[in-house]
Amino acid sequence: MGIVKGDQMVLNIGPQHPSTHGVLRLKVVTDGEIVSDIEPIIGYLHRCFEKHCENSTYEQVIPFTDRCDYIASMNNNFGYVVAMEKLMEIKVPDRVEYIRIIMAELNRIASHLLALGVYGLDVGAFTPFLYMFRDRERILDIFELTCGARLLYNYMWVGGVSHDLPVGFVETVYGFLDYFEPKLKEYNEILTYNKIFIERTADVGVLPPEVAISYGVSGPNLRGSGVKWDLRKDEPYSIYERFDFDVPIGEGTVGTTGDCWDRFYVRMLEMTESAKILRQALKDLPQDGDVHQAIPKKIRPPKGSIYQRTESPRGDLAYYIISDGSPQPYRLKMRSPAFTALSVLNEISRGWMLSDVIAILGSLDIVLGEIDR
Amino acid sequence: MGNYLRNIWETITTMLTGMRVTFQHLWLIRRNNVTLQYPEERWPRPERDIGFDHSNYNVIRSRLHVDIDDCIGCLKCERACPVDCIKIDTVKVPNRGEDIHSIGHTGITANGTKKAMVVSRFDIDMSECCYCNLCVYPCPEECIYMTGGPNSEKHEIDYEFSQYDRNDLIFRFAKKVSDEEIESATSISSERES
Ligand code: SF4
Ligand code: SF4
Repeated sequence: MGIVKGDQMVLNIGPQHPSTHGVLRLKVVTDGEIVSDIEPIIGYLHRCFEKHCENSTYEQVIPFTDRCDYIASMNNNFGYVVAMEKLMEIKVPDRVEYIRIIMAELNRIASHLLALGVYGLDVGAFTPFLYMFRDRERILDIFELTCGARLLYNYMWVGGVSHDLPVGFVETVYGFLDYFEPKLKEYNEILTYNKIFIERTADVGVLPPEVAISYGVSGPNLRGSGVKWDLRKDEPYSIYERFDFDVPIGEGTVGTTGDCWDRFYVRMLEMTESAKILRQALKDLPQDGDVHQAIPKKIRPPKGSIYQRTESPRGDLAYYIISDGSPQPYRLKMRSPAFTALSVLNEISRGWMLSDVIAILGSLDIVLGEIDR
Repeated sequence: MGNYLRNIWETITTMLTGMRVTFQHLWLIRRNNVTLQYPEERWPRPERDIGFDHSNYNVIRSRLHVDIDDCIGCLKCERACPVDCIKIDTVKVPNRGEDIHSIGHTGITANGTKKAMVVSRFDIDMSECCYCNLCVYPCPEECIYMTGGPNSEKHEIDYEFSQYDRNDLIFRFAKKVSDEEIESATSISSERES
């Protein structure tokens, strides 16, 4: 942050502010209403995740990964267990893989519903938020039915999952999908194509693809800028190569490619794709197979290290695990997609009005639990 | 000018579209109502019959309970806990599997294991617990579990337990006996043995 000139003013947004999506403090240098510089100040939610992991056994790390990105805990578990299984060369049964995909995609829908609903709230639309929260609740009910927890699941374990699916699970998810898919049209009607919403978001905070790539932005934010990059497609992990789905990208439908509206709409389209994957996974789900069969008695990976990337709802979530052969990781590093998304905020919101900064920040869909860890 | 008028027109039409969606919900408020009048009505807990023959399957995560008469004091649950909120102290008994009546210690668990320890302290601080369920799985006697699981007929499903004092969230499962009592009880029986 440079020197503040005479007619400029430093404004603090946060650390406790409804629009910062957690405890984030933004130090904004404004010139009247126009923002000339933003410095995000993070660390208010730092809980020593990585250091904690060095003192926990490999099983005990999983509840901590839940608490990083608490909106999409299943996907966080998923990344960790995929990395561990690669390190230990465990082959998990097919049924487990399918269950994991179903859970991860359900959680992706839940996470996007929250992101989009809260985004509506940020730009002043209250009703869509209520509708999306109502539908997200159904997904949480499905999770509760399966593993007893609604938000922090500790569901995926190295080599398996903690609970097998309950009786009637497949029908429940089919029922949810039948209910949910028509709702997408409703969301589009009430929010996406609303003229006021478009005016607030189209052409605002344009993130050009080169800038996005140079900052390491990933996930829906990158795809909103028109870059077709999805780890599920381009670097398939688990069994994603078996599914047929599209990777939606932003096309500048109502404004410029890479604006807030594009980032918003990519998430909307991704929910359709997730529903598509869910239908395929439910159809192919193997009926038998013990979900606990491949869980090792003692998790003691060989000496070595692994870097595994997975596609979380926020983007490229990666775990770097160094093992020294003991039951505790020597070092565990998490690459957080929300962190890189936040770092691009200054670049794309300079020159916009203060109220647009809220719209831009919301469109990046950050989760502070994951940024601070 | 044309653009200006078109913007106004689009604003009005799209707003009316949104209004239509909201009004649809208003008409169907009886049928589509999802809000619960919480203290009067309660959300039904999900069906716990998961259809598999795994006695340690435990779907609800509400509150931990320990059947202390079955606990052999092996400390496996304490070691599994990522936040160290289980605290167990044990005292060795002279004769494995023998009841010690003066402190209400039963020698044999429901599974038929002979106990080698008196569990003199078994505290779980539920305000620290992160409900990860990791302590439930390693228990060899299946005596630590979340209430509402397979033992739900024994316990009410207690998902809204709350206390006025934080100390009341520390659940002490071990029988209340002082150290001296345990000492004298274990030494009496060891004297009898010798
Ligand atoms: S549920 Fe998890 S945090 Fe709670 S006592 Fe058991 S192991 Fe510890
Ligand atoms: S694991 Fe079970 S038997 Fe062992 S100390 Fe814990 S509750 Fe007792």
